[in-house]
Amino acid sequence: MPAITCGGLVKEYKSQKLVRALDNASFEVAEGEVFGLLGPNGAGKTTLVKILATLLKPTRGHAEVGGYDVDNEEHKVRRIIGYAGQDSERSAYFRLTVRENLLYFAHALRDMSVQTARERIEYMASAIGFSDRLGKHFIALSGGEKQLVIVMRAIMHGPEVCFLDEPSKSLDPLTSQQVRDFLKAYAKENVITICLTTHNMKEAEEFCDRIAFINHGQLRFIGTPSDFKRRVTVKEIVEIGVSDLGKTVESALMKIPGVSTLTHEGNIRLYCDDAFSALSEVLAVLNNANTKAPVRMVEPSLEDAYALFVKEDEANKNG
Amino acid sequence: MANPLKLFYMAVWRNLLTLTRYKANFLFEILTSALFGFGMLLFSFAFNASLLGETVGSTNYVAFFVLGVSFQSWQGISLWGASGMFQGELSTGQIDYTFSCPFSRYWYIVSNIAASAVQEALFFIPMFCIGLWLTSATLTVTGVILGLMATMLSVAALAQLGAIFASLTLRYRQVTAIFGFFNFAFQMLTGMFIPVQLLPTPLQIVGQCLPQTFGMDLLRYYVMGTKAIMPVEYEWITLLIQLAALGIIARLAISHLERTAKEQGLHYI
Repeated sequence: MPAITCGGLVKEYKSQKLVRALDNASFEVAEGEVFGLLGPNGAGKTTLVKILATLLKPTRGHAEVGGYDVDNEEHKVRRIIGYAGQDSERSAYFRLTVRENLLYFAHALRDMSVQTARERIEYMASAIGFSDRLGKHFIALSGGEKQLVIVMRAIMHGPEVCFLDEPSKSLDPLTSQQVRDFLKAYAKENVITICLTTHNMKEAEEFCDRIAFINHGQLRFIGTPSDFKRRVTVKEIVEIGVSDLGKTVESALMKIPGVSTLTHEGNIRLYCDDAFSALSEVLAVLNNANTKAPVRMVEPSLEDAYALFVKEDEANKNG
Repeated sequence: MANPLKLFYMAVWRNLLTLTRYKANFLFEILTSALFGFGMLLFSFAFNASLLGETVGSTNYVAFFVLGVSFQSWQGISLWGASGMFQGELSTGQIDYTFSCPFSRYWYIVSNIAASAVQEALFFIPMFCIGLWLTSATLTVTGVILGLMATMLSVAALAQLGAIFASLTLRYRQVTAIFGFFNFAFQMLTGMFIPVQLLPTPLQIVGQCLPQTFGMDLLRYYVMGTKAIMPVEYEWITLLIQLAALGIIARLAISHLERTAKEQGLHYI
Protein backbone atom coordinates (compact mmCIF):
# COMPACT_ATOMS: atom_id res chain seq x y z
CA MET A 1 0.00 0.00 0.00
CA PRO A 2 1.38 3.45 -0.87
CA ALA A 3 2.12 5.75 2.07
CA ILE A 4 0.53 8.70 0.28
CA THR A 5 -2.09 8.67 -2.46
CA CYS A 6 -3.58 11.75 -4.10
CA GLY A 7 -6.24 11.74 -6.79
CA GLY A 8 -7.42 14.88 -8.61
CA LEU A 9 -6.67 17.16 -5.64
CA VAL A 10 -7.90 20.71 -6.12
CA LYS A 11 -7.61 23.55 -3.63
CA GLU A 12 -9.21 26.90 -4.28
CA TYR A 13 -8.97 29.92 -1.98
CA LYS A 14 -11.79 32.41 -2.02
CA SER A 15 -10.51 35.94 -1.58
CA GLN A 16 -11.39 38.87 -3.85
CA LYS A 17 -11.17 36.41 -6.73
CA LEU A 18 -11.02 32.66 -6.77
CA VAL A 19 -7.41 31.44 -6.61
CA ARG A 20 -6.66 27.87 -7.58
CA ALA A 21 -3.59 26.96 -5.55
CA LEU A 22 -3.64 23.27 -6.45
CA ASP A 23 -4.97 21.96 -9.71
CA ASN A 24 -5.80 18.31 -10.18
CA ALA A 25 -2.77 16.83 -8.40
CA SER A 26 -2.50 13.04 -8.58
CA PHE A 27 0.44 10.94 -7.41
CA GLU A 28 1.52 8.15 -5.08
CA VAL A 29 4.44 7.90 -2.68
CA ALA A 30 5.69 4.48 -1.65
CA GLU A 31 6.35 3.46 1.94
CA GLY A 32 9.82 4.50 3.10
CA GLU A 33 10.34 6.79 0.12
CA VAL A 34 11.76 10.31 0.40
CA PHE A 35 9.62 12.42 -1.91
CA GLY A 36 10.55 16.03 -2.73
CA LEU A 37 8.25 18.76 -3.94
CA LEU A 38 10.00 21.40 -6.02
CA GLY A 39 8.64 24.53 -7.60
CA PRO A 40 8.78 28.32 -7.52
CA ASN A 41 7.37 30.34 -4.62
CA GLY A 42 3.57 30.22 -4.61
CA ALA A 43 3.51 27.13 -6.82
CA GLY A 44 1.29 25.14 -4.45
CA LYS A 45 3.83 23.00 -2.58
CA THR A 46 2.89 24.15 0.91
CA THR A 47 -0.80 23.92 0.09
CA LEU A 48 -0.32 20.30 -0.95
CA VAL A 49 1.66 19.46 2.18
CA LYS A 50 -0.92 21.13 4.42
CA ILE A 51 -3.75 19.17 2.83
CA LEU A 52 -1.86 15.95 3.42
CA ALA A 53 -1.10 16.98 7.02
CA THR A 54 -4.86 17.56 7.61
CA LEU A 55 -4.38 21.31 8.04
CA LEU A 56 -6.27 22.35 4.93
CA LYS A 57 -9.42 20.99 3.43
CA PRO A 58 -9.23 20.15 -0.27
CA THR A 59 -11.88 21.73 -2.48
CA ARG A 60 -12.14 18.58 -4.61
CA GLY A 61 -10.41 15.25 -5.05
CA HIS A 62 -9.16 12.88 -2.42
CA ALA A 63 -5.96 12.10 -0.58
CA GLU A 64 -4.91 9.30 1.71
CA VAL A 65 -2.00 9.05 4.11
CA GLY A 66 -1.20 5.58 5.44
CA GLY A 67 -4.47 4.40 3.90
CA TYR A 68 -6.57 6.96 5.81
CA ASP A 69 -8.57 9.69 4.13
CA VAL A 70 -7.12 13.09 5.11
CA ASP A 71 -10.52 14.73 5.12
CA ASN A 72 -12.75 12.13 6.76
CA GLU A 73 -10.28 10.23 8.92
CA GLU A 74 -8.10 13.11 9.99
CA HIS A 75 -7.63 11.84 13.55
CA LYS A 76 -6.19 8.56 12.26
CA VAL A 77 -3.92 10.44 9.87
CA ARG A 78 -2.66 12.68 12.68
CA ARG A 79 -1.64 9.66 14.73
CA ILE A 80 0.82 8.51 12.08
CA ILE A 81 2.27 11.76 10.78
CA GLY A 82 4.89 14.27 11.81
CA TYR A 83 4.89 17.84 10.56
CA ALA A 84 7.34 20.71 10.42
CA GLY A 85 6.01 23.92 8.91
CA GLN A 86 7.82 26.94 7.58
CA ASP A 87 7.18 29.20 10.58
CA SER A 88 9.95 27.65 12.62
CA GLU A 89 11.39 30.85 14.04
CA ARG A 90 8.59 31.35 16.52
CA SER A 91 6.67 28.12 16.66
CA ALA A 92 7.83 26.86 20.05
CA TYR A 93 7.79 28.29 23.55
CA PHE A 94 10.42 31.00 23.73
CA ARG A 95 11.19 30.81 27.43
CA LEU A 96 11.35 27.04 27.66
CA THR A 97 14.61 25.27 26.88
CA VAL A 98 14.91 23.05 23.82
CA ARG A 99 14.63 19.96 26.05
CA GLU A 100 11.55 21.33 27.84
CA ASN A 101 9.90 22.27 24.56
CA LEU A 102 10.48 18.85 23.01
CA LEU A 103 9.36 17.11 26.18
CA TYR A 104 6.15 19.17 26.29
CA PHE A 105 5.26 18.47 22.67
CA ALA A 106 6.14 14.78 22.88
CA HIS A 107 4.37 14.08 26.16
CA ALA A 108 1.36 16.41 25.97
CA LEU A 109 0.55 16.41 22.28
CA ARG A 110 2.04 13.12 21.07
CA ASP A 111 1.27 11.00 24.10
CA MET A 112 4.83 9.68 24.50
CA SER A 113 5.90 8.63 27.97
CA VAL A 114 8.26 11.06 29.68
CA GLN A 115 10.99 8.43 29.85
CA THR A 116 10.79 7.52 26.15
CA ALA A 117 10.61 11.18 25.19
CA ARG A 118 13.71 12.00 27.23
CA GLU A 119 15.66 9.12 25.69
CA ARG A 120 14.57 10.06 22.17
CA ILE A 121 15.52 13.71 22.69
CA GLU A 122 19.01 12.75 23.90
CA TYR A 123 19.46 10.27 21.04
CA MET A 124 18.41 12.70 18.32
CA ALA A 125 20.38 15.59 19.75
CA SER A 126 23.48 13.47 19.96
CA ALA A 127 23.03 12.24 16.37
CA ILE A 128 22.96 15.76 14.97
CA GLY A 129 25.49 17.26 17.38
CA PHE A 130 22.92 19.31 19.26
CA SER A 131 23.34 17.95 22.80
CA ASP A 132 25.13 21.06 24.07
CA ARG A 133 22.15 23.24 23.14
CA LEU A 134 19.35 21.21 24.72
CA GLY A 135 19.51 23.40 27.84
CA LYS A 136 19.27 26.67 25.92
CA HIS A 137 16.09 28.73 25.79
CA PHE A 138 14.39 28.50 22.38
CA ILE A 139 14.54 32.29 22.02
CA ALA A 140 18.33 32.21 22.43
CA LEU A 141 18.88 29.90 19.45
CA SER A 142 19.92 31.04 15.98
CA GLY A 143 17.47 30.71 13.09
CA GLY A 144 19.12 27.51 11.92
CA GLU A 145 19.13 25.99 15.40
CA LYS A 146 15.43 26.75 15.77
CA GLN A 147 14.84 25.02 12.47
CA LEU A 148 16.67 21.95 13.79
CA VAL A 149 14.45 21.87 16.87
CA ILE A 150 11.36 22.00 14.69
CA VAL A 151 12.66 19.13 12.55
CA MET A 152 13.41 17.12 15.71
CA ARG A 153 9.90 17.84 16.99
CA ALA A 154 8.43 16.51 13.74
CA ILE A 155 10.19 13.14 13.88
CA MET A 156 10.78 12.44 17.54
CA HIS A 157 7.64 10.32 17.99
CA GLY A 158 8.62 8.05 15.08
CA PRO A 159 5.83 8.88 12.62
CA GLU A 160 5.06 6.64 9.64
CA VAL A 161 4.89 9.64 7.33
CA CYS A 162 6.63 12.93 7.91
CA PHE A 163 5.89 16.22 6.15
CA LEU A 164 8.71 18.75 6.18
CA ASP A 165 8.10 22.15 4.64
CA GLU A 166 11.53 23.50 3.67
CA PRO A 167 13.45 21.67 6.42
CA SER A 168 16.82 23.10 5.44
CA LYS A 169 15.65 26.70 5.38
CA SER A 170 18.06 28.89 7.39
CA LEU A 171 20.58 26.07 7.83
CA ASP A 172 24.20 26.55 6.86
CA PRO A 173 25.51 24.03 4.28
CA LEU A 174 27.31 21.88 6.86
CA THR A 175 24.38 21.68 9.27
CA SER A 176 22.04 21.11 6.36
CA GLN A 177 24.15 18.15 5.27
CA GLN A 178 24.24 16.84 8.82
CA VAL A 179 20.46 17.04 9.13
CA ARG A 180 19.99 15.34 5.76
CA ASP A 181 22.33 12.51 6.72
CA PHE A 182 20.56 12.06 10.04
CA LEU A 183 17.08 12.19 8.49
CA LYS A 184 18.04 9.72 5.82
CA ALA A 185 19.46 7.24 8.32
CA TYR A 186 16.59 7.79 10.76
CA ALA A 187 13.98 7.39 8.03
CA LYS A 188 15.62 4.22 6.76
CA GLU A 189 15.99 2.71 10.23
CA ASN A 190 12.40 3.49 11.22
CA VAL A 191 10.83 3.08 7.73
CA ILE A 192 9.53 6.63 7.68
CA THR A 193 8.14 8.07 4.48
CA ILE A 194 9.25 11.66 4.07
CA CYS A 195 7.51 14.24 1.94
CA LEU A 196 9.39 17.51 1.85
CA THR A 197 9.30 20.79 -0.01
CA THR A 198 12.57 22.44 -0.88
CA HIS A 199 14.28 25.12 -2.91
CA ASN A 200 17.60 23.51 -2.22
CA MET A 201 18.47 21.49 -5.33
CA LYS A 202 21.40 19.79 -3.64
CA GLU A 203 19.01 18.54 -1.00
CA ALA A 204 16.57 17.33 -3.64
CA GLU A 205 19.31 15.59 -5.60
CA GLU A 206 21.04 13.90 -2.66
CA PHE A 207 18.12 13.23 -0.36
CA CYS A 208 15.05 12.50 -2.47
CA ASP A 209 14.30 9.16 -4.09
CA ARG A 210 11.80 10.93 -6.32
CA ILE A 211 10.78 14.52 -6.89
CA ALA A 212 7.70 16.26 -8.21
CA PHE A 213 7.85 19.64 -9.87
CA ILE A 214 4.84 21.89 -9.26
CA ASN A 215 4.06 25.17 -10.94
CA HIS A 216 0.81 27.16 -10.87
CA GLY A 217 -0.69 24.40 -8.76
CA GLN A 218 -0.12 21.72 -11.38
CA LEU A 219 2.22 18.75 -11.17
CA ARG A 220 4.44 19.08 -14.23
CA PHE A 221 6.86 16.27 -13.51
CA ILE A 222 7.24 13.26 -11.24
CA GLY A 223 10.30 11.03 -11.30
CA THR A 224 13.81 10.60 -9.97
CA PRO A 225 16.18 13.59 -9.85
CA SER A 226 18.21 12.00 -12.66
CA ASP A 227 15.07 11.58 -14.77
CA PHE A 228 14.30 15.23 -14.19
CA LYS A 229 17.76 16.28 -15.32
CA ARG A 230 17.65 14.00 -18.35
CA ARG A 231 14.21 15.15 -19.35
CA VAL A 232 14.95 18.84 -19.04
CA THR A 233 18.61 19.19 -19.80
CA VAL A 234 18.91 17.22 -22.99
CA LYS A 235 20.54 20.51 -23.84
CA GLU A 236 24.10 21.54 -23.09
CA ILE A 237 25.23 24.69 -21.37
CA VAL A 238 27.66 27.45 -22.27
CA GLU A 239 28.36 29.67 -19.28
CA ILE A 240 29.62 33.24 -19.61
CA GLY A 241 31.22 34.62 -16.46
CA VAL A 242 29.26 37.88 -16.23
CA SER A 243 25.90 38.63 -14.69
CA ASP A 244 24.56 40.90 -17.43
CA LEU A 245 25.53 41.72 -21.01
CA GLY A 246 22.82 44.15 -21.99
CA LYS A 247 19.85 43.58 -24.26
CA THR A 248 21.68 43.94 -27.61
CA VAL A 249 24.37 41.40 -26.86
CA GLU A 250 21.98 39.00 -25.21
CA SER A 251 19.59 39.05 -28.17
CA ALA A 252 22.57 38.42 -30.47
CA LEU A 253 23.47 35.39 -28.34
CA MET A 254 19.90 34.11 -28.57
CA LYS A 255 20.15 34.25 -32.39
CA ILE A 256 22.99 31.71 -32.42
CA PRO A 257 21.68 28.52 -34.09
CA GLY A 258 20.77 25.85 -31.52
CA VAL A 259 20.55 28.24 -28.54
CA SER A 260 17.08 28.04 -27.04
CA THR A 261 17.28 29.70 -23.61
CA LEU A 262 19.36 32.31 -21.81
CA THR A 263 19.22 32.55 -18.02
CA HIS A 264 20.81 34.87 -15.45
CA GLU A 265 21.84 32.84 -12.42
CA GLY A 266 24.85 34.74 -11.18
CA ASN A 267 26.48 34.07 -14.54
CA ILE A 268 24.77 34.04 -17.91
CA ARG A 269 23.91 30.57 -19.14
CA LEU A 270 23.00 29.58 -22.67
CA TYR A 271 21.15 26.30 -23.12
CA CYS A 272 21.86 24.88 -26.55
CA ASP A 273 21.72 21.68 -28.59
CA ASP A 274 25.48 21.49 -29.06
CA ALA A 275 27.62 23.55 -26.72
CA PHE A 276 30.84 22.85 -28.61
CA SER A 277 29.43 24.24 -31.89
CA ALA A 278 27.88 27.22 -30.15
CA LEU A 279 31.09 28.11 -28.33
CA SER A 280 32.86 29.73 -31.29
CA GLU A 281 29.79 31.79 -32.16
CA VAL A 282 29.44 32.95 -28.55
CA LEU A 283 33.06 34.11 -28.59
CA ALA A 284 32.43 35.93 -31.87
CA VAL A 285 29.41 37.78 -30.43
CA LEU A 286 31.39 38.79 -27.33
CA ASN A 287 34.31 39.88 -29.46
CA ASN A 288 32.07 42.07 -31.63
CA ALA A 289 30.69 43.65 -28.46
CA ASN A 290 34.22 44.19 -27.10
CA THR A 291 33.34 42.15 -24.03
CA LYS A 292 36.00 40.07 -22.39
CA ALA A 293 34.53 37.43 -20.10
CA PRO A 294 35.41 33.83 -19.26
CA VAL A 295 33.41 31.36 -21.32
CA ARG A 296 33.12 27.63 -20.62
CA MET A 297 30.97 24.59 -21.16
CA VAL A 298 29.40 23.17 -17.98
CA GLU A 299 27.76 19.93 -16.93
CA PRO A 300 24.05 20.57 -16.25
CA SER A 301 23.07 20.21 -12.58
CA LEU A 302 19.63 19.70 -11.06
CA GLU A 303 19.59 23.43 -10.42
CA ASP A 304 20.12 24.07 -14.14
CA ALA A 305 17.35 21.62 -14.94
CA TYR A 306 15.08 23.36 -12.44
CA ALA A 307 15.80 26.84 -13.79
CA LEU A 308 15.23 25.71 -17.35
CA PHE A 309 12.08 23.86 -16.47
CA VAL A 310 10.60 26.92 -14.74
CA LYS A 311 11.51 29.13 -17.68
CA GLU A 312 10.04 26.75 -20.25
CA ASP A 313 6.96 26.24 -18.15
CA GLU A 314 6.37 29.99 -17.94
CA ALA A 315 6.92 30.32 -21.69
CA ASN A 316 4.39 27.54 -22.39
CA LYS A 317 1.88 29.12 -20.03
CA ASN A 318 2.21 32.51 -21.72
CA GLY A 319 1.71 30.86 -25.11
CA MET B 1 14.89 62.69 7.28
CA ALA B 2 11.28 61.51 7.12
CA ASN B 3 8.68 64.21 7.56
CA PRO B 4 7.02 63.71 11.02
CA LEU B 5 3.66 64.82 9.62
CA LYS B 6 3.89 62.21 6.88
CA LEU B 7 4.88 59.55 9.45
CA PHE B 8 1.84 60.54 11.51
CA TYR B 9 -0.79 60.50 8.77
CA MET B 10 0.59 57.36 7.17
CA ALA B 11 0.44 55.66 10.58
CA VAL B 12 -3.21 56.77 10.94
CA TRP B 13 -3.91 55.49 7.42
CA ARG B 14 -2.20 52.15 8.18
CA ASN B 15 -4.10 51.73 11.48
CA LEU B 16 -7.46 52.56 9.92
CA LEU B 17 -6.86 50.12 7.09
CA THR B 18 -5.86 47.38 9.54
CA LEU B 19 -8.90 48.13 11.69
CA THR B 20 -11.28 47.73 8.76
CA ARG B 21 -9.58 44.51 7.59
CA TYR B 22 -11.11 42.73 10.62
CA LYS B 23 -14.74 43.70 10.07
CA ALA B 24 -16.33 41.80 12.95
CA ASN B 25 -13.75 43.23 15.35
CA PHE B 26 -14.30 46.76 13.99
CA LEU B 27 -18.06 46.50 14.50
CA PHE B 28 -17.55 45.39 18.10
CA GLU B 29 -15.16 48.28 18.80
CA ILE B 30 -18.03 50.64 18.00
CA LEU B 31 -20.59 48.61 19.94
CA THR B 32 -18.33 48.41 23.01
CA SER B 33 -18.08 52.17 23.36
CA ALA B 34 -21.91 52.46 23.29
CA LEU B 35 -22.23 49.62 25.79
CA PHE B 36 -19.67 51.18 28.10
CA GLY B 37 -21.73 54.37 28.40
CA PHE B 38 -24.86 52.36 29.19
CA GLY B 39 -22.99 50.24 31.73
CA MET B 40 -21.70 53.28 33.58
CA LEU B 41 -25.29 54.54 33.84
CA LEU B 42 -26.35 51.26 35.49
CA PHE B 43 -23.29 51.34 37.71
CA SER B 44 -24.43 54.59 39.32
CA PHE B 45 -27.51 52.85 40.82
CA ALA B 46 -25.38 50.47 42.88
CA PHE B 47 -23.92 53.26 45.00
CA ASN B 48 -27.28 53.84 46.60
CA ALA B 49 -26.86 51.82 49.84
CA SER B 50 -30.57 51.71 50.74
CA LEU B 51 -31.46 50.50 47.25
CA LEU B 52 -28.74 47.83 47.52
CA GLY B 53 -30.07 46.75 50.94
CA GLU B 54 -33.63 46.43 49.60
CA THR B 55 -32.46 44.47 46.56
CA VAL B 56 -29.95 41.97 47.96
CA GLY B 57 -30.49 42.20 51.70
CA SER B 58 -27.01 43.61 52.47
CA THR B 59 -25.60 47.12 52.37
CA ASN B 60 -22.02 45.87 52.41
CA TYR B 61 -21.23 47.08 48.89
CA VAL B 62 -17.46 46.76 49.37
CA ALA B 63 -17.75 43.01 50.10
CA PHE B 64 -20.26 42.65 47.24
CA PHE B 65 -17.77 44.35 44.91
CA VAL B 66 -14.65 42.52 46.13
CA LEU B 67 -16.26 39.10 45.74
CA GLY B 68 -17.32 40.14 42.23
CA VAL B 69 -13.78 41.27 41.38
CA SER B 70 -12.27 38.04 42.72
CA PHE B 71 -14.68 36.17 40.45
CA GLN B 72 -13.58 38.32 37.50
CA SER B 73 -10.07 36.79 37.57
CA TRP B 74 -11.49 33.37 36.74
CA GLN B 75 -14.16 34.74 34.43
CA GLY B 76 -11.43 36.43 32.40
CA ILE B 77 -9.28 33.35 32.08
CA SER B 78 -12.21 30.99 31.48
CA LEU B 79 -13.68 33.09 28.73
CA TRP B 80 -10.60 34.47 27.03
CA GLY B 81 -7.66 32.31 28.08
CA ALA B 82 -8.02 29.80 25.26
CA SER B 83 -8.72 32.51 22.70
CA GLY B 84 -5.56 34.29 23.74
CA MET B 85 -3.64 31.03 23.44
CA PHE B 86 -4.99 30.44 19.92
CA GLN B 87 -4.23 34.01 18.89
CA GLY B 88 -0.66 33.46 20.05
CA GLU B 89 -0.41 30.16 18.19
CA LEU B 90 -1.97 31.72 15.07
CA SER B 91 0.50 34.57 15.00
CA THR B 92 3.56 32.41 15.64
CA GLY B 93 2.50 29.66 13.27
CA GLN B 94 2.60 27.06 16.03
CA ILE B 95 -1.08 26.35 15.35
CA ASP B 96 -0.13 24.30 12.28
CA TYR B 97 2.01 21.94 14.33
CA THR B 98 -0.53 21.79 17.16
CA PHE B 99 -3.38 20.96 14.81
CA SER B 100 -1.40 18.25 13.05
CA CYS B 101 -1.30 16.35 16.36
CA PRO B 102 -3.83 13.69 17.35
CA PHE B 103 -5.76 15.00 20.33
CA SER B 104 -9.26 16.24 20.99
CA ARG B 105 -9.44 19.97 20.25
CA TYR B 106 -12.14 20.30 22.90
CA TRP B 107 -9.98 18.80 25.63
CA TYR B 108 -6.94 20.73 24.46
CA ILE B 109 -8.86 23.97 24.98
CA VAL B 110 -10.52 22.98 28.25
CA SER B 111 -7.26 21.61 29.71
CA ASN B 112 -5.44 24.80 28.84
CA ILE B 113 -8.19 26.90 30.42
CA ALA B 114 -7.95 24.78 33.56
CA ALA B 115 -4.16 25.19 33.59
CA SER B 116 -4.54 28.96 33.27
CA ALA B 117 -7.18 28.97 36.01
CA VAL B 118 -4.71 27.31 38.37
CA GLN B 119 -2.23 30.07 37.56
CA GLU B 120 -4.94 32.71 37.94
CA ALA B 121 -5.77 31.39 41.42
CA LEU B 122 -2.80 33.48 42.54
CA PHE B 123 -5.00 36.50 41.91
CA PHE B 124 -8.27 34.89 43.00
CA ILE B 125 -7.08 33.70 46.41
CA PRO B 126 -5.92 37.06 47.86
CA MET B 127 -9.03 38.87 46.58
CA PHE B 128 -11.26 36.09 47.85
CA CYS B 129 -9.58 36.20 51.26
CA ILE B 130 -10.18 39.95 51.44
CA GLY B 131 -13.82 39.26 50.51
CA LEU B 132 -14.03 36.70 53.34
CA TRP B 133 -12.49 39.12 55.83
CA LEU B 134 -15.01 41.80 54.82
CA THR B 135 -17.86 39.32 55.38
CA SER B 136 -16.57 37.86 58.64
CA ALA B 137 -19.86 38.64 60.39
CA THR B 138 -21.81 36.19 58.23
CA LEU B 139 -19.06 33.67 57.48
CA THR B 140 -19.33 29.91 58.15
CA VAL B 141 -17.10 27.03 57.04
CA THR B 142 -20.01 25.37 55.22
CA GLY B 143 -20.76 28.70 53.55
CA VAL B 144 -17.19 29.03 52.27
CA ILE B 145 -17.16 25.44 50.96
CA LEU B 146 -20.53 25.77 49.22
CA GLY B 147 -19.60 29.20 47.86
CA LEU B 148 -16.37 27.82 46.41
CA MET B 149 -18.20 24.82 44.94
CA ALA B 150 -20.67 27.14 43.21
CA THR B 151 -17.76 29.20 41.92
CA MET B 152 -16.01 26.09 40.53
CA LEU B 153 -19.17 24.87 38.83
CA SER B 154 -19.78 28.27 37.35
CA VAL B 155 -16.17 28.51 36.12
CA ALA B 156 -16.46 25.04 34.53
CA ALA B 157 -19.56 26.19 32.64
CA LEU B 158 -17.80 29.42 31.70
CA ALA B 159 -14.90 27.41 30.31
CA GLN B 160 -17.36 25.92 27.81
CA LEU B 161 -18.24 29.43 26.70
CA GLY B 162 -14.50 30.11 26.55
CA ALA B 163 -14.09 27.13 24.24
CA ILE B 164 -16.76 28.59 21.94
CA PHE B 165 -14.93 31.92 21.90
CA ALA B 166 -11.65 30.12 21.20
CA SER B 167 -13.18 28.45 18.17
CA LEU B 168 -14.42 31.88 17.03
CA THR B 169 -10.79 32.99 17.13
CA LEU B 170 -9.97 30.32 14.58
CA ARG B 171 -12.67 31.72 12.33
CA TYR B 172 -12.30 35.49 12.79
CA ARG B 173 -8.56 35.68 13.72
CA GLN B 174 -8.64 39.11 15.34
CA VAL B 175 -11.23 39.20 18.09
CA THR B 176 -9.91 41.52 20.80
CA ALA B 177 -12.79 44.00 20.39
CA ILE B 178 -15.32 41.16 20.46
CA PHE B 179 -13.72 40.01 23.73
CA GLY B 180 -13.89 43.54 25.13
CA PHE B 181 -17.56 43.84 24.27
CA PHE B 182 -18.59 40.54 25.81
CA ASN B 183 -16.32 40.91 28.82
CA PHE B 184 -17.89 44.21 29.79
CA ALA B 185 -21.42 43.03 28.89
CA PHE B 186 -20.92 39.96 31.08
CA GLN B 187 -19.62 42.04 33.97
CA MET B 188 -22.68 44.29 33.86
CA LEU B 189 -25.29 41.61 33.15
CA THR B 190 -24.22 38.96 35.64
CA GLY B 191 -24.14 40.97 38.84
CA MET B 192 -20.40 41.33 39.15
CA PHE B 193 -20.58 44.98 40.20
CA ILE B 194 -24.31 45.71 40.39
CA PRO B 195 -27.10 43.37 41.52
CA VAL B 196 -28.84 41.62 38.64
CA GLN B 197 -32.16 42.56 40.25
CA LEU B 198 -31.48 46.23 39.44
CA LEU B 199 -31.31 45.57 35.70
CA PRO B 200 -34.30 46.01 33.36
CA THR B 201 -36.21 42.70 33.04
CA PRO B 202 -34.99 41.80 29.49
CA LEU B 203 -31.37 42.23 30.65
CA GLN B 204 -32.07 40.15 33.78
CA ILE B 205 -33.25 37.31 31.53
CA VAL B 206 -30.06 37.54 29.46
CA GLY B 207 -28.00 37.66 32.65
CA GLN B 208 -29.65 34.53 34.03
CA CYS B 209 -28.66 32.60 30.91
CA LEU B 210 -24.97 33.21 31.74
CA PRO B 211 -23.25 30.83 34.18
CA GLN B 212 -21.42 33.46 36.21
CA THR B 213 -24.71 35.04 37.36
CA PHE B 214 -25.74 32.14 39.56
CA GLY B 215 -22.13 31.28 40.42
CA MET B 216 -21.61 34.74 41.92
CA ASP B 217 -25.09 34.87 43.39
CA LEU B 218 -24.57 31.57 45.23
CA LEU B 219 -21.10 32.66 46.39
CA ARG B 220 -22.54 35.85 47.91
CA TYR B 221 -25.55 33.98 49.29
CA TYR B 222 -23.36 31.50 51.17
CA VAL B 223 -20.60 33.92 52.18
CA MET B 224 -22.42 37.24 52.70
CA GLY B 225 -25.90 35.96 53.42
CA THR B 226 -27.48 37.99 50.60
CA LYS B 227 -30.91 37.25 49.12
CA ALA B 228 -30.57 34.86 46.17
CA ILE B 229 -32.09 35.75 42.80
CA MET B 230 -33.99 32.45 42.70
CA PRO B 231 -34.37 29.60 45.23
CA VAL B 232 -30.81 28.24 45.59
CA GLU B 233 -31.79 24.69 44.49
CA TYR B 234 -32.94 26.14 41.15
CA GLU B 235 -29.69 28.04 40.82
CA TRP B 236 -27.60 24.88 41.38
CA ILE B 237 -29.70 22.94 38.85
CA THR B 238 -29.48 25.80 36.34
CA LEU B 239 -25.70 25.83 36.68
CA LEU B 240 -25.54 22.08 36.00
CA ILE B 241 -27.81 22.44 32.97
CA GLN B 242 -25.71 25.35 31.70
CA LEU B 243 -22.54 23.28 32.08
CA ALA B 244 -24.03 20.38 30.10
CA ALA B 245 -25.68 22.51 27.40
CA LEU B 246 -22.68 24.78 26.87
CA GLY B 247 -20.42 21.71 26.80
CA ILE B 248 -22.40 20.24 23.92
CA ILE B 249 -22.51 23.56 22.04
CA ALA B 250 -18.76 24.04 22.60
CA ARG B 251 -17.93 20.62 21.12
CA LEU B 252 -20.12 21.29 18.08
CA ALA B 253 -18.75 24.81 17.63
CA ILE B 254 -15.13 23.66 17.83
CA SER B 255 -15.68 20.88 15.33
CA HIS B 256 -17.58 23.14 12.91
CA LEU B 257 -15.27 26.11 13.17
CA GLU B 258 -12.10 24.05 12.86
CA ARG B 259 -13.41 22.77 9.54
CA THR B 260 -14.38 26.25 8.44
CA ALA B 261 -10.99 27.70 9.42
CA LYS B 262 -9.33 24.91 7.45
CA GLU B 263 -10.90 26.28 4.27
CA GLN B 264 -8.48 29.20 4.24
CA GLY B 265 -5.62 27.80 6.30
CA LEU B 266 -5.29 27.95 10.05
CA HIS B 267 -2.32 30.24 10.31
CA TYR B 268 -3.58 33.29 8.44
CA ILE B 269 -4.04 36.22 10.78
